[in-house]
Amino acid sequence: MARDYYEVLGISRDASADEIQQAYRKLARRHHPDVNKNPEAEETFKEVNEAYQVLKDPETRRRYDRFGRNFRQIPEGYEETVGAGRGSGGRGFGRAGARGSGGPYRSEWQFQDSGIDLEELLGGMFGTRGPGGPIPGADQEAELTLTVEDAYRGGRRTITLAGPSGPRNYEVNIPPGVTDGQRIRLAGQGGRARGDAATGDLYLVVRIAPHPRYRMRGRDIYIDLALTPWEAALGASIPVQTPGGTGTVRVPTGSSTGRRLRLRGQGMPNSSGPPGDLHAEVKVMVPPRLSERERELFEELANVSTFDPRRPRQ
Amino acid sequence: MIAYPMTRPSRLSLDRFARQAGLHPQLVEKFVALGLLDAERDATGALWFRPAALVTVARVQRLRAGLSLNYAAIGLVLDLLNRIDELEAASRRTGSRTWT
Repeated sequence: MARDYYEVLGISRDASADEIQQAYRKLARRHHPDVNKNPEAEETFKEVNEAYQVLKDPETRRRYDRFGRNFRQIPEGYEETVGAGRGSGGRGFGRAGARGSGGPYRSEWQFQDSGIDLEELLGGMFGTRGPGGPIPGADQEAELTLTVEDAYRGGRRTITLAGPSGPRNYEVNIPPGVTDGQRIRLAGQGGRARGDAATGDLYLVVRIAPHPRYRMRGRDIYIDLALTPWEAALGASIPVQTPGGTGTVRVPTGSSTGRRLRLRGQGMPNSSGPPGDLHAEVKVMVPPRLSERERELFEELANVSTFDPRRPRQ
Repeated sequence: MIAYPMTRPSRLSLDRFARQAGLHPQLVEKFVALGLLDAERDATGALWFRPAALVTVARVQRLRAGLSLNYAAIGLVLDLLNRIDELEAASRRTGSRTWT
């Protein structure tokens, strides 16, 4: 909250009026809640507007430079009064008071003077101009990255997002089997409105993090199934790890690399339909180094076997 | 006895729409004339709005108040934002098709 206005706009303290406006315009465009759906953007947008409202006017800027953020609490004629050593203080609060007819000045004023007046604070959000009517808040979007296992299980999860007054925590109920790109709607948790209009919604877009073993395609899960040459040739029952626990893949005899074995219903669960499948793709591996005995056996196999994978099959 | 839930009307009259948007009906008419807002015109010439258009009105107001855009610029921004949404949705769809 208490960032320096120059820092907010990313300019030096001796920036010209043109530089101030340039910085403001760029930041306002980038962080406007309709352009940038990130929940943090709304806060930045508000901060940028507040900073610009002060720095665009040479008079308030001069007072901000001298007194800092609380300059509005210092009577207008303060400097001259002190300088002259006399208590005339003619204008007093006059100017700041007159400005408090709406818009960000008033909100800042009330915030510092009498605690947070939420209504006013929100009212100052769209600072520059415009009619005073209520405006509904914008929808926001944030990403929610889940591991494959978390997406499989679902359940409650606490997430933290930047909010108007520090980080906000949300308890989110994740449905089991949520897939990449699905959106979870938190009604009324999005951008704030001006006046008594409706608040926007917050959407959490689910992202499934890449997994070293599982590859996702919708609700189907693909894994590599590493086999020894003899397992592939003779067939085997291989236990495999799935997000839901352990499953068993029955490898038929004569399974070459690339063969896909399906475990029906072992993919991602689905609350409104059949669950996905787990596909195990055979990958035949050979020992990188052979023992004496292994070499003998392979050589014997080579002499006996007539199998030639390069001969076109009929 | 079966209880039927209340459903939102599928289209709103100009007055109803303006009231829900918190705007003067003439301003809403102006938005339509400027091409910022889609509306159907029936045989009598009256305007009818989809409830989803309320979202657009809010966006128009936010863009005007927050970025000092004029209505011509807002029309352009709305079109561009919609196109970005479509492109992002499309890239998300193709993106989820590849391995994660």
